[in-house]
Amino acid sequence: MTYALRKVGLLILTLWAAITLNFVLPRLMPGSPADAAVAKLSQNGPVTAATRKAIEIQLGVPNGNLIEQYGQYLKQVVTLHFGVSYTFYPQPVAELVGQALPYTLILVGLVTIIAFVCGTLLGVLAAWKRGTWLDSLPTLGGSFASAFPYFWTALLLLFFLGYVFKIFPTSGAYGVTNVPGFNGDFLGSAVNHAILPAITILITSLGGWILGMRNTMISTLGDDYVTFAEANGLKPRTVAIRYAARNAILPNLTSFGLALGGVVGGSVLVETVFGYPGIGYLLLKAVTNQDYPLMQALFLMITVSVLLANFLVDILYGVLDPRTRK
Amino acid sequence: MTATVWSNTKARIGVIILLVFVLVAIFAPLLTPYDPSATTFARSADASASHWLGTTAAGEDVLSQLIQGARISVFVGFVAGLLSTVVAVLIGLSWGYVRGWWADVINFFVNLFLVVPGLPLMIVIAAYLQNGGIGMIILVVVITGWAWGARVLRSQTQSLRGRDFVTAAVFSGERPFRIVFREILPNMTSLIVGNFFGAATSAILAEAGLEFLGLGDPSTVSWGTMLFWAQNSNALLTGQWSLLFAPGLCIALLATSLTLINFGVDGLSNPRLREGKSGR
Amino acid sequence: MTITETTQDAPATSPDILLSVRDLSVVYEPRGAEPTSAVENVSFDLRRGEFVGLVGESGSGKSTLGFALTRLAKPPARISNGRILFDGKDIASIDAEALREQRQGGFAMVLQSGMNALNPVRSIRHHFFDVFKAHGHVPHDRREERARELIGKVELPAATLDRFPGELSGGMRQRVSIALALSLEPQLMVFDEPTTALDVLVQHAVMNTIRELQKAENFTAVLISHDLGIVLEATERVLVMHEGVIVEDGPSSEILNAPTAEYTKMLLSHYADPRAEVVSLPGFEDRRLRQAAGEARSAAAAPEHAPTVVTRSVSVAQESIVVSHVSKTYPPPRRGEQPVRAVRDVSFTLEPGQSLALVGQSGSGKSTIAKMITGVEKPSEGSITFGGLDVAKLGRGKLRDLHRNVQMVFQDPYAALNPLHTVEYTLMRPVVNFTGLKGQDARRRVLELLETVGLTPVEQFAAKLPHQLSGGQGQRVVIARALACDPQVIIADEPVSMLDVSLRAGVLALLEDLREKWG
Repeated sequence: MTYALRKVGLLILTLWAAITLNFVLPRLMPGSPADAAVAKLSQNGPVTAATRKAIEIQLGVPNGNLIEQYGQYLKQVVTLHFGVSYTFYPQPVAELVGQALPYTLILVGLVTIIAFVCGTLLGVLAAWKRGTWLDSLPTLGGSFASAFPYFWTALLLLFFLGYVFKIFPTSGAYGVTNVPGFNGDFLGSAVNHAILPAITILITSLGGWILGMRNTMISTLGDDYVTFAEANGLKPRTVAIRYAARNAILPNLTSFGLALGGVVGGSVLVETVFGYPGIGYLLLKAVTNQDYPLMQALFLMITVSVLLANFLVDILYGVLDPRTRK
Repeated sequence: MTATVWSNTKARIGVIILLVFVLVAIFAPLLTPYDPSATTFARSADASASHWLGTTAAGEDVLSQLIQGARISVFVGFVAGLLSTVVAVLIGLSWGYVRGWWADVINFFVNLFLVVPGLPLMIVIAAYLQNGGIGMIILVVVITGWAWGARVLRSQTQSLRGRDFVTAAVFSGERPFRIVFREILPNMTSLIVGNFFGAATSAILAEAGLEFLGLGDPSTVSWGTMLFWAQNSNALLTGQWSLLFAPGLCIALLATSLTLINFGVDGLSNPRLREGKSGR
Repeated sequence: MTITETTQDAPATSPDILLSVRDLSVVYEPRGAEPTSAVENVSFDLRRGEFVGLVGESGSGKSTLGFALTRLAKPPARISNGRILFDGKDIASIDAEALREQRQGGFAMVLQSGMNALNPVRSIRHHFFDVFKAHGHVPHDRREERARELIGKVELPAATLDRFPGELSGGMRQRVSIALALSLEPQLMVFDEPTTALDVLVQHAVMNTIRELQKAENFTAVLISHDLGIVLEATERVLVMHEGVIVEDGPSSEILNAPTAEYTKMLLSHYADPRAEVVSLPGFEDRRLRQAAGEARSAAAAPEHAPTVVTRSVSVAQESIVVSHVSKTYPPPRRGEQPVRAVRDVSFTLEPGQSLALVGQSGSGKSTIAKMITGVEKPSEGSITFGGLDVAKLGRGKLRDLHRNVQMVFQDPYAALNPLHTVEYTLMRPVVNFTGLKGQDARRRVLELLETVGLTPVEQFAAKLPHQLSGGQGQRVVIARALACDPQVIIADEPVSMLDVSLRAGVLALLEDLREKWG
C-alpha cells in the first residue's frame, strides 16, 4: 500500500513540475510570445483587455509579476480555461483539445499496447530460441524497422497502400459523408482510416519491445532460479514463461513507461502525414500558425497524458512484483 | 575493445555502413554531380541518365541533394550525440557520486525529463525559436536527450563507487573530482560509447523529424527538408517515389548502422548478450 | 571402501553402484577464445546411500563436474568425452525430455547461491506445485499436504509456503531449495557449496539439516565445497580435485590422518585448524576481542566457529586509537525491513606499537569497524579518536590528514586495484598526494616501494596492469600502496582470505617482515 501511496505522491509532484515547465517555457524564450500572440489574435478582430490579460498570464510579459502570474496560471490550468485559439477563431482551446483527444487516445493507446504485447511475446520467443531464425529474424527485422523514421514509414505506406494501390483512404479520421456517432457506418469508416497510422506505429515501435524483452530475458535465463528450475525438471514452457519471462517483463515494463513519451512524439509525425485529426496534427497546426495558447495547452495535455500512463504502468508493476508489496 | 566489437557480425556491418556515410559526408562537394541548390533543371523529372534520381519540383538534382544531405545528418548525429553524452556523463557521474538529498533532487529532474515526451517538447521549443537552423535543432535534441544516458551511467557509477579500488583511491588521498573522472569514468567506457551511438541515432531521427515538419530552416539541404518539400509538392500524387524513398532510406540506413554497432557494444558491457547459441 | 574399481575402463555394473563415471571430460569453449579443459578424464563410482565430498579450490573444476553429473552444464561448457551411468542408464547422451523426466526419482542439485535460486515473483507454495505438476508424481489433492511435509523436513514452519523468496533470510531460502530438491524424491543429491553464501552459525545449522536428511531419506549425496573442514565433518568419503583431475579418493578418516597426494597435504595444513596459522607467526601478540557485534547470536558464537584472523593493526608511532561505545546501524536494505545493526557498542584502545586482531564470523561487523576507524564509514553512535582527531567528525579535507597516518590493506587485490591503471600509476598517486614528491623523485619512491614488497625487477612490475599480476603479486602492490605515505597504522582486512592457500603464507610473511623492519 505504501508503494501505491508513494507513486501517487510522485505523480502529483511530477504533474506539478510539468505544469510549471509549461509556465516557464514561453517565459524563457527570446522576444515576447505574448505580444506575438496578441498581434495574431487582433487579425480576427479587436482584442479585449480581459483576453489580453489571459494571454499574458499564459505566456508572460517581460516585466510582469511572476508570482502573481503563476498563481493565476495555475487557476487557469485547474479550471481548464486555456483561452481562445486564433487559428480556429473563436473556438476555445479546451474545446479543440477535447475534440482531438479521443482520436489520439484510441489510436495511439491501443496500438501501443498491442505493439508492447506482441513485441514482448516475440522477444520471449527470440531469447528462448536464441541463435535460431526465430531469434535472428525478429531481432534484425525489428532493429531495422525501429531505425525507420516514423514519418518515412508513414509516407511509404501512404504512397503504396493509399495512392498506388488505393486500398486505404489517404487522409482524415472518417469518410466525408459519415456523421460521427455510434453508428456502424461511422465506426467502420473510422477503423478503415485508422489502419494505416496504426500499422506505422506498430512497425516502428515493435522492434524496440522485441529487442528489450530479448535482452532482459537472456539475462534472466542465466539467473540461478532458472538453472534451479531446470535442475528440478520443470517443463521447458514453465521455465520459459513463469520463471524467465515473468521476471524479465518487470524491467521492461519500466522501459515501457519511459518510452511512452517517444511513442506519443512519433504519433505527432504519423498524424501529420495521414492528416489524422488527433492531438499531434492539431499541435503542428498550432505551431505553424504560431497559435501559442493552443500549442501550450496541447503540450500540457500530451505531457499529462504520458505522466498518467506512466503512473498506471507503475501501479501495474506494483501488482506484478511481490517485492513492492511491503 | 575495438576487436570485440568488430568480432560481432552485426556490428561489423554497422561500422561499414557508417563509414560509407561518413566518407560521403566528408567528400560531398567532390561527389555531387551538380550544385545541390541549383534550380536550373527541368522540374519534377523522372530518373534519367543525367539525373539518376530525377529532379525535385523546384528543379534541383535529387542525387546531389541526397549526397549533400548526408553532411547534415552525420554532423547533427555526431555533435548532438556527443553533447548529450557529455551532459549525461557529467550529470550521471556526479549524481552517482553524491549522496543524500541532492541525489533525490537530481533524480526527480532526470525522471521528469525522461517522461516528458521529447518530440512535442522539441516542437514547442522550435516553434518559439522560429527557424533557428541546425544549431537550434542540436540544442533542442540535447535538452531532451540526455536524461536516459544520465540514468544508466548513474546506476553504473553507484555500483562502481562501492568497489574497493574506489575506496583505495580515497586512501591514496585522491580528491572526489579525480576519483570520479580518473577512477570511475574509464571503467564505463563501453557504456558511454553505447550511449553515444544511441543518442546519435535519436538525434538523427529527431533532426529529420523536425525538418520534415518544417520546423528547421527549410532552405538548408538535408534529408529531412527533402522530405518536407517532397510532401509539400505532392510528390505522392505525382508518383515521384524516388524523391520520397531515397532520403528516408538513407536516414533509416544511417540509424540502423548505429543500432547495429551498439549490438557489439552491448556485448562488451553485458557478457551474457555476447553472440552464441544457447544449449536449446 | 571400494576405490579399486575407479581406474578400470568398464563402468561398474554392480547393483550396489548408483552412479558410475568413466573418463568424463568437460571443456569450456567460449567464443573467440581458446577452449580450455575444466575436467579431464575423471572416473569414479558412487555407492547407494553414500555421502561423498568433492573438495578443491576455486577453479579446480569441482563445480563444473557437479553440473556435468546432473546434466546442467550449459555452453560454453560441454561434456566432450566419457560416460555417466546413473542406475545403469547412460545419461551423458539422453535427449532433453528424457533427461527432464529422469530428474524425478533421479538426481537433484542444490546450488551454491541458494539466495538466488528461487523465483522472486513466485510464492514458495507455487515453487513446490510447479515441481509436482512437472512430474505428476504427487496427486492433485495431496499437493498441499506434501508441500507442508517437505517444508517441515527442512525445519521450516508451514506458513513459509505463503511467503515470497524476498521475505525469507538466506538460510531459509537455502532450506527451501533443499526441500524443493527433496520433492523430486531423488536417489542422488548434489550440493554445490550449499552453505558458502551463509554466515557461520547458519552454515552449521544448514549442514546439520543436510546430514540428518541424508541419513533419514538415505539418498546418495555429493557435497561440493572448498572447505575441507566442512567436508571431512560431514562425509564418509572424499574426492580431492585439482586442476580438473581427481588427485585423491579415499575415506574421510584416511584423508584427514594419512593423506597421500601433496596437494591434499597442503590443503589440510591450511584448513584443518586455522588458529595454527595465527600462532605460527612470531611477533604477533594476539589479543582476542570478544566481539559485541552482531546481535545476540554473536554472543553464542563459540570461538571454534570463527577463528580466522581478520584485522591486524600494526601501529608504530605516537598516537593511539580510541574506539569508545561505537555502534553502526545501516538503513534497512529494502523498505519495510529492519534496519541492520552491524556493530553494537564496541570499545577498545589501540596503543602505539601494539598489534591487535579482530576476530569474528562473517557478518559480525569487523569490516565495518575497520571502515569506521579509517573514516570511510561514520559511526551512528559513539566516537573514534586518533590522536587529537575525532574520526567520525572529519570533513573531506581532514580525512586526507587521517589517511596520511592510517592506511588499509584490502581483502581482494583484484577488486582493490583499478583494472585500467598500471602499477606505477596506482602507487604514484599516494606518493604525489601525501609526500609532495614530484617527477623523478616520486618515481624513484615508487620503485623503492616495489622493492620493499619484493616485486622485482621493479621497472617491469611498474609497467604492468592488474590483470597481468597474480593474486599474491596484486596483494603486494596493495600493501605497497598502503606503505606509500609512511602511515602509523595499517589496517589489514582479511588480507589473505581471497588468495589461494599456496600464496597466503607468502603474503603473511611479507606483512610480518614489514612490521619488524618498519617498527
